Amino acid sequence: MQEKRKASSQRQRFGIALLLLTAVCLYGNFDLLYSRIRDYPGRNWEDPVSAHEKRMESLKAFLPPVSSVGYVTTVENEKLFSLEKSFRDVEFLAQFIVTQYALTPVFVYNSPDHPVVVGVFLSGPPDPAFLRRHRLVSKKDLGVGVILFERRGES
Amino acid sequence: MIFFLVSLLVAAFIGLTLIHICFPLWKNGALLFKICLGTGLGLGITSCVLFLSLFVTSAQFVLLPESFLTFLALGCWWFMTRKKKPIDADILSGRRERFAYTNILSAFLVAGLLSSVASFILAVVREPHGKWDAWLIWNMHARFIFRAGEHWQDYFASGLYWTHPDYPLMLPLSIVRSWKYMGIESPSIPILLSFLFMFALIGLIVSSLTMLRGKNQGYLGGLVLIGSPFFILMGASQLADIPLAFFLLASIVLLFLYDQMPGGHHRLLVLSGVAAGLLAWTKNEGILIALMLILVRFFVVTGAEGWKSAVKQVSWLMVGVLPVLLLTASFKVMLAPTTDIFAGQNIQVIGDRLTDIERFKTIIGAYIQTGLTFTQGIPDIRTGFRFNPGVAGIALLALYLVLSGTEFNRKDKVNILHVLLVTLVTLGGYFLIYLITPHNLEWHLITSLNRLFIQLWPAIILITFVAARTPEMVFPQDQRRREETRSVSEKPGKRKSEGR
Repeated sequence: MQEKRKASSQRQRFGIALLLLTAVCLYGNFDLLYSRIRDYPGRNWEDPVSAHEKRMESLKAFLPPVSSVGYVTTVENEKLFSLEKSFRDVEFLAQFIVTQYALTPVFVYNSPDHPVVVGVFLSGPPDPAFLRRHRLVSKKDLGVGVILFERRGES
Repeated sequence: MIFFLVSLLVAAFIGLTLIHICFPLWKNGALLFKICLGTGLGLGITSCVLFLSLFVTSAQFVLLPESFLTFLALGCWWFMTRKKKPIDADILSGRRERFAYTNILSAFLVAGLLSSVASFILAVVREPHGKWDAWLIWNMHARFIFRAGEHWQDYFASGLYWTHPDYPLMLPLSIVRSWKYMGIESPSIPILLSFLFMFALIGLIVSSLTMLRGKNQGYLGGLVLIGSPFFILMGASQLADIPLAFFLLASIVLLFLYDQMPGGHHRLLVLSGVAAGLLAWTKNEGILIALMLILVRFFVVTGAEGWKSAVKQVSWLMVGVLPVLLLTASFKVMLAPTTDIFAGQNIQVIGDRLTDIERFKTIIGAYIQTGLTFTQGIPDIRTGFRFNPGVAGIALLALYLVLSGTEFNRKDKVNILHVLLVTLVTLGGYFLIYLITPHNLEWHLITSLNRLFIQLWPAIILITFVAARTPEMVFPQDQRRREETRSVSEKPGKRKSEGR
């Protein structure tokens, strides 16, 4: 009798465990699907990486045959990584990374001290004083926030 | 796309051949197991072959060594089908009770799989290039190697440390390999490879549990994995964490099978070693996990069967792991720059960090918080997650084990202990890395710890369902039938006595 009761209680516990497990797992799975549907960006959506790649595609036509280029943006080069690591702004670093991603196999260095420099100014225009200080002269303004610079006195 | 399929079929064929040589069973989930494991292992092995080919052949002929391997695999099949009859054994023989609601469980799993495919597609539509690390590391590396042609090695000396050129090349070279087959660089390849690894991992856990503990445990294990939103999101993110989780699970499952197979198939140990080696070839932390898998195996088997058996097992494991470890080591020595964790470090700085109590507290807090929440999804980097008991995670599995009870044999006990110790030692190793990291500690924890946990998650699910009592043990269909039959046959008698 006691054994029967024990077996019955065991079955009840197992039944609860099974129901709980399957319910929670299915809920987690379907809830994820619901959130993906809710966040569906629509047919005309272009993700930021693809959009930046397109900008860089137009730049490639004007890029001289070099193995490496420099990089400048709205903020100073030293701040790109520190802004991201302090969780303050990831945009500038993301733009830099995607610039490298798009221009590969050309090496993009986070520095203005290169004969050819790619400027990405999606978040604001370049500081003229900064450009003067680094002797950067605009070679081609693509009009999409991307400017190709040459360093004066170098070719 | 046809050429991608060819590249995939070739990799899967090579992997499947290797598995069939080591594990010649077909029954009870073994076919799904072989297809899933063969695809993943095949991709890993062909990436190793491509790495060697890049050194020894010119760009046009890099796929030539792989063709030889394919012919060799064909030869193996010809030999195997001529010389041997397929083995008709069954690991589960003698445990054949049925559960009345197996079909419902399988329906749940199929529904969950369909929903997972839809979630995957929608996540990819939103971020076709994957998450941050996909375009910062894995796809970027693939582009460098593919686009630079003969100059593919230049990237490793470029000084672009922020792209982590020291990371192993399994995933980038698998992408490059498919691009080489296609002759063009297609952005859909990283997506398709992520899809393959994710669903091969689901298939691997379902089929392994089916072979080891029966269909129902397989379905439940699969449900927990696809019921973890972070797993699906990571799968769609095109990162190397899911392939790493795949190789870890593969290595562990093969050890379980080794212990279950009558006569102890040493080839399974070799294959487990290959999978462990591919861990190291996939990510830097895989090197630590691979070494721990072997080291802990030695101690656990020594405790259970004596040191002679342990030496024998570890020797067979080394036969599989060494070639891939040597390949990884050659990459690290010849091409890769120093890992960012150790670059610019010195004893004084490391000593200061190791004795900083605040760092201990921060890491322990992050371990507890992330351990309870990592399956929930991708957290807001500033706030993290709060514990949600409504999402499958460690807490749910623990509760399930308490309610269902455990029942396993002595050999499974050894393997469960092995996995638990590997997990603990690996987490301890990560703890040490976080202690000495030169990066901002909070940033490092929040951007990586949940991914480290998800790598171990499938292995934890596996041992949970190997240990847990199965539904058919508690609700055997035959018993239910007997009870129904008894109640039906008892009713007329009861009426008879009532009539009297």
